[in-house]
Amino acid sequence: MSGLRAVGLVAQRELAQRLRSRPTWVMTVVTALLIAALMTVPALLRRSPTPTVIGLVGSAAQALRPQLASAAAATGVDVQLRNLHDAAAAHAQVLAGGLDAALDVTGEAPDVTVARSLAPDVQDLVRTVVTRARATQLLSAAKVPPDVIRSLLTPVSLTVHALEPPPPPVSAARVVAAIVAGYLLLYAIVAYAIGVATGVAQEKTSRTAEVLLAAIRPDRLMVGKVLGIGAAGLGQLAIAVAAGLVANALVGGSAVPHAVVTLLPSLLLWFLLGYTLFAFVSAAAGAMVARQEEVQSATAPITVALTAALALVFGVVHAPDSWWVAAGSLLAPFTPIVMPARLAMGPVPAWQLALAILELIGVTYAVARLAARVYATSLMRGGARVGWSAALRGASESPARNTRPRT
Amino acid sequence: MPQGLEISGLAHGFGATVAVDGLDLSVAAGEIVGLVGRNGAGKTTTLRAVMGILEPREGRIRWHDREVGASDRLRFGYMPEERGLYPQMGVLEQVTYFGRLHGMERRDAQRSARSVLERLELGPRAEDKLVALSHGNQQRAQLAVALVHRPELLVLDEAFAGLDPSAVMLLSDVLRDEAQRPAAILFSSHQLDIVERLCDRVAVMEAGRLLATGTLEELQRRVPSRLRVRVGGGAAWRPDVPGARLVEDDARGTLLALEPGADPQAVLRSAMATGPVEHFGFERGGLTDVYRELVAA
Repeated sequence: MSGLRAVGLVAQRELAQRLRSRPTWVMTVVTALLIAALMTVPALLRRSPTPTVIGLVGSAAQALRPQLASAAAATGVDVQLRNLHDAAAAHAQVLAGGLDAALDVTGEAPDVTVARSLAPDVQDLVRTVVTRARATQLLSAAKVPPDVIRSLLTPVSLTVHALEPPPPPVSAARVVAAIVAGYLLLYAIVAYAIGVATGVAQEKTSRTAEVLLAAIRPDRLMVGKVLGIGAAGLGQLAIAVAAGLVANALVGGSAVPHAVVTLLPSLLLWFLLGYTLFAFVSAAAGAMVARQEEVQSATAPITVALTAALALVFGVVHAPDSWWVAAGSLLAPFTPIVMPARLAMGPVPAWQLALAILELIGVTYAVARLAARVYATSLMRGGARVGWSAALRGASESPARNTRPRT
Repeated sequence: MPQGLEISGLAHGFGATVAVDGLDLSVAAGEIVGLVGRNGAGKTTTLRAVMGILEPREGRIRWHDREVGASDRLRFGYMPEERGLYPQMGVLEQVTYFGRLHGMERRDAQRSARSVLERLELGPRAEDKLVALSHGNQQRAQLAVALVHRPELLVLDEAFAGLDPSAVMLLSDVLRDEAQRPAAILFSSHQLDIVERLCDRVAVMEAGRLLATGTLEELQRRVPSRLRVRVGGGAAWRPDVPGARLVEDDARGTLLALEPGADPQAVLRSAMATGPVEHFGFERGGLTDVYRELVAA
């Protein structure tokens, strides 16, 4: 039987086992809903703005209605204006929620009554319109010609000359995308890579490994397991990404920056690269344990590395252009988490992207070879858990210390 | 002799512990060979080396007159001492899976798995998960995994351990049928009565070495003759003959082991001098007796 067929059989079994697992499907649905929600919520929030309802108390305030309406239209502030006869009725409506604010300009100073607070842009709108009305009134009383008044009260246009190109605007959506991508990849890589260690440990401690090794070489068994579990993880993530893209299309796709939308499919690549690297480490770790309970401690280096990568994602958000962020994203264990975060925050030089991917592939290949050796030498060892250093020394380490031979 | 498995100069150890030390053993197609010896004698290490699960430090393992390779081992069936299969996997699915791992096509593997499960009286439980089976039935499922691909060599470690009498009879019949096919069968066991009944040849291991190998008759010839003498008249008789060693003394008489050179006539004269000799005859000891003599030597 060819090695490829053997690897394929093991991978098929692993994939089938996970597809039958209810927790796998629950997590798939939860992840898909989460991504779909993240892509939808900004658009929904933007699509349903609530206008600020302002009550104009008395004829003086109602006289400002045309100016308020035109200023609101000019500045894009969404207001709705209502005429009211007296202040008591206006206050009652403010308290009842029918009005957001009541404007009364009969007194010495204009008075705006609100239930709790008023949005700053609405305050600015009212302040500007009232100030201009007062100024027009005073200047007219002083016999200033209307065209002069208009000229005086028309804001001057300001021309800004930038000496360097402005930095790309950092939207909240990009920050959220960077952090969510980091968490999502961390979760997916940890869950599926540690799943490899758990599966290997189960086969070792249940002695299924001995029956398997009578039929298949250990390196093929390991690769098949990594591929099968990885296919399940990739499928789960692909469903989540598809849900995100479909949700974005359904809401028109205008609320989320384009870079964030294009980041979604690339998560599959980063998962694949990151998972493969850590899955091989995890397979070796799983073969080293003596009991299932030891899987967590044996795989601690994986969770530590990925958690450190997630910490670096917060550095990416705060200083996306710093040298240390770039350097961190080029370190193979950090790349799968940090590079997508950089891509979410803005463009990354193509050479850095290419270098990171090639480096990750190279490191994964080296790790896989080493893991295969550790896996083969540790899987049939009985007795206490094999330490990392002993496992890496492989056959050169005195096996008697860690082996309880059954002869 | 038909070709089959040939182990020569096999040696392996774990650190400073020598597990197997220069073992030579062969198993021909159609032959059932039993490997016996105390715990730590090197049986499991030998069987694992045959299956390629461990790489021996020295020695050669040949199959049909050439070095055994991975493709040969796909035609071997193996049941380890510490049984292990996937607990949450269906029995039929699991046996089929291992058949495919041994190179069978899906349909063949499935058909063969059903047939083997029927033969092992597990047909009605084929769709159950392994974990739902009793311990004895899990043993049968393990045997089905070893048999599903119709192996040319069957290697069973502690084949009969933990089996109830009906399962022992079933497994014995299966092994005889497999040998008729003809598969070469090498199995280890502590149950010497079963080994005696079932095996064409027996290999006795002690401290990593092969003490003796051969048919039961051949082994019997390698140990002292057993002579039973019963003296009547209530006389207490103890032989005082050089080379005659007392093995046991009960109502059936006195059982003696005669070392080479010991004179049976001298024993008879000694007995007759004590009282009337009611019984005087040589006995052939079973494998248990032979084993005891071999490891005591």
